[in-house]
Amino acid sequence: MPTNPLSRRGFLVGVAATTALGVTGCGLGGGSTDDNADSGPVTGEVTGEIKFQTWALKPKYTDYINGMVTAFQKQHNGVKVTWIDQPADGYLQKVTADAAAGNLPDVVNVPPDLSYPLARKKLLLNIDTAMPDAKKDYLDGGWAAYALPGRPGSYGFPWYLNTGPTFYNKALFRQVGLDAEHPPTSYAELEAAALVMAQRSNKQIAMLGLTPVIADFGLYGVKVMSDDGTKFTFNEAKGVEFVEMYKRLFDAGALIPEALSATYTGAGTKFMNQQIAWAPGSAYDLQNFKTNAPSLYANVGITKTITSTGKANLYVQGLSVPSASKNKPTALAFAKFVTNAQNQMAFAKLTAIFPSTKGSMSDPYFSQDGGTDEGRVRVAAAKQLDTAVNYTPVQWSEQMTTLLQQKMSDAMQGKATPKQALDDTVAQCNKLLAG
Amino acid sequence: MRIVQQRWFTPWLFLLPGLAVVIGFNLFPFLNTVVLAFTDAKVLGGGHFTGAENFVRLVQDPAFWTAVGNSALYVVGVVPPLVILPLLLALLVERKLPGITFFRTAFFTPVIASIVVVGLIWTWLLDSRGLVNDVLRALGVLTRPIPFLTDEWLLLASAMLVTVWKGLGYYMIIYLAALGTVPKELHEAAQVDGAGWWRRLWSVTLPALRPTMVLVAVLSAVAAFRVFSEVYLLAGPAGGPGGSDTTLVMLIQQVGTGLTGDLGYSSALSVVLFVLTLGLLLATNRLNRKEDL
Repeated sequence: MPTNPLSRRGFLVGVAATTALGVTGCGLGGGSTDDNADSGPVTGEVTGEIKFQTWALKPKYTDYINGMVTAFQKQHNGVKVTWIDQPADGYLQKVTADAAAGNLPDVVNVPPDLSYPLARKKLLLNIDTAMPDAKKDYLDGGWAAYALPGRPGSYGFPWYLNTGPTFYNKALFRQVGLDAEHPPTSYAELEAAALVMAQRSNKQIAMLGLTPVIADFGLYGVKVMSDDGTKFTFNEAKGVEFVEMYKRLFDAGALIPEALSATYTGAGTKFMNQQIAWAPGSAYDLQNFKTNAPSLYANVGITKTITSTGKANLYVQGLSVPSASKNKPTALAFAKFVTNAQNQMAFAKLTAIFPSTKGSMSDPYFSQDGGTDEGRVRVAAAKQLDTAVNYTPVQWSEQMTTLLQQKMSDAMQGKATPKQALDDTVAQCNKLLAG
Repeated sequence: MRIVQQRWFTPWLFLLPGLAVVIGFNLFPFLNTVVLAFTDAKVLGGGHFTGAENFVRLVQDPAFWTAVGNSALYVVGVVPPLVILPLLLALLVERKLPGITFFRTAFFTPVIASIVVVGLIWTWLLDSRGLVNDVLRALGVLTRPIPFLTDEWLLLASAMLVTVWKGLGYYMIIYLAALGTVPKELHEAAQVDGAGWWRRLWSVTLPALRPTMVLVAVLSAVAAFRVFSEVYLLAGPAGGPGGSDTTLVMLIQQVGTGLTGDLGYSSALSVVLFVLTLGLLLATNRLNRKEDL
């Protein structure tokens, strides 16, 4: 027999031990943190290789990104930037997987709500300390979006900003005898118009396509979070009042039944199909209507977002540098370069976004509409941008979004009162926040 | 010829590539999940052993019971049609008629279609302003649309319909292969004895196909218990109105994904899913053995 019992046993024990060690090791212990992340300015030569990850910019903006990469490489001898673009779908999963594996690219596009859990785990560099003179170049709102509530520092270079007007379907307004040239400008007017629309169309046309998301509470003037950012407070009286309004709309048929399980994109599709008459959006959507829904485009009305606070909602995108980056000086320099005023302005002229750099908004491009619909949306949005606020707290997670939608659905169906639904959501979200 | 004596590890070397794949992609993740189920680990690392805390939590979690109920209901709703309908289809297309290949291919097409595409098509069909409701309204059958995608029960039933529709062709092929193994002599003998088509189906074909029917039942039951895509696509990420159509796999996905995902709890849910699926398999196996006696 060709056996050596000891060796075989040793071999099997070795395999078992390796597996067991691997098993117990994976998923436990800390993520890759760097205690020096907040220790001071990052200095060093800008050279060597870095990876740069964007979110769904290929192929539309390939030339623009490649142009910036080439320009940066020309400015700094010996630098090589590898650009990776991830598709829109599954971006969160990709960032999650990379972060869990300690494998994030050196410069990575993350919106504020993604930056929060990463920064909390010390996986991102604090730009305030790593590059102290950067802050002065950016709009305060953009910079603040990457701050960690309750802790000093900011964890991303604000990149492009957006704020949307609201679109409405003039043809549907006319069909039920509403004034298509004077759309509602307050919540009370919106509710009244929505009820008229549902009643006159015998519930065939609904005004709204989505139950309220967290930013909607903020726009209504509800205090979403406590000042110290430790607990959610949107179950206050104003929040209940807001959900009660939605309940009245749902009962009257002014909110489509699919809203109970629809996603934001789903509601957008309903607007494109002309099944709902009112939808929040951005200048980007206008191009989408033009290409994919020409009959809607011919009838689309553009109006200011309704808000009780006087401040529109702000969407922020930014670039962060992981604290585990092996080439921090180059990564920081490149992130700063991509988000500088000149490059952001060039980007804004390519598509419907707004620069986050100070002074850029005074460019005539944002105050003159050139007589086009796109221009009108751009100018309208630019006016809102001055005071716009990111109403979605950075602590708000995907699980919380799902939870809120489920509870709102319960409230609409009468399975819970608006107050019960909100109390329940806040309690569960606070539990998630503490975890 | 001289027989070369092999060293003890030679067979292991042959096994190594396959073994590495199984250990790396099946065994390791499985054992890791079991370990994580007893911790409060998060997606971004961290976590300590918390004993059976996650399992206590899931027993007290109403969302867990809703999910188990929906997954179990899915098995009950999907398995009988997936055992019977593909068999009937197989009997239909088994005959050698001109053009029958077209029907075989047509019935199999949904199997190879992307589930996302299938989900979108069915969403368009079943929407309150979709084709089905519009046609029924145009014919004057309905005044109000049928809430296929907004009523929690109809939504689950619609997802079951999609599962059955998509799975028919796959199980039909299994039945077709099995039908080819039914001894012709038995059919001939039965025919000589005066048995008609129905009698031969009942007394010859079905007994011969019983092991295949059990196989189809087991395969479809396990797949149904782990359903995700159909319900996710029709009901949305929140799992239908108020999350009432969330299945067990959807709950695992909701709890465990994202940067703030609760890996420990979702692992505990996965372990329960594994145990329940195993239980389902053992129960079917036992049932089959009893019938054999």
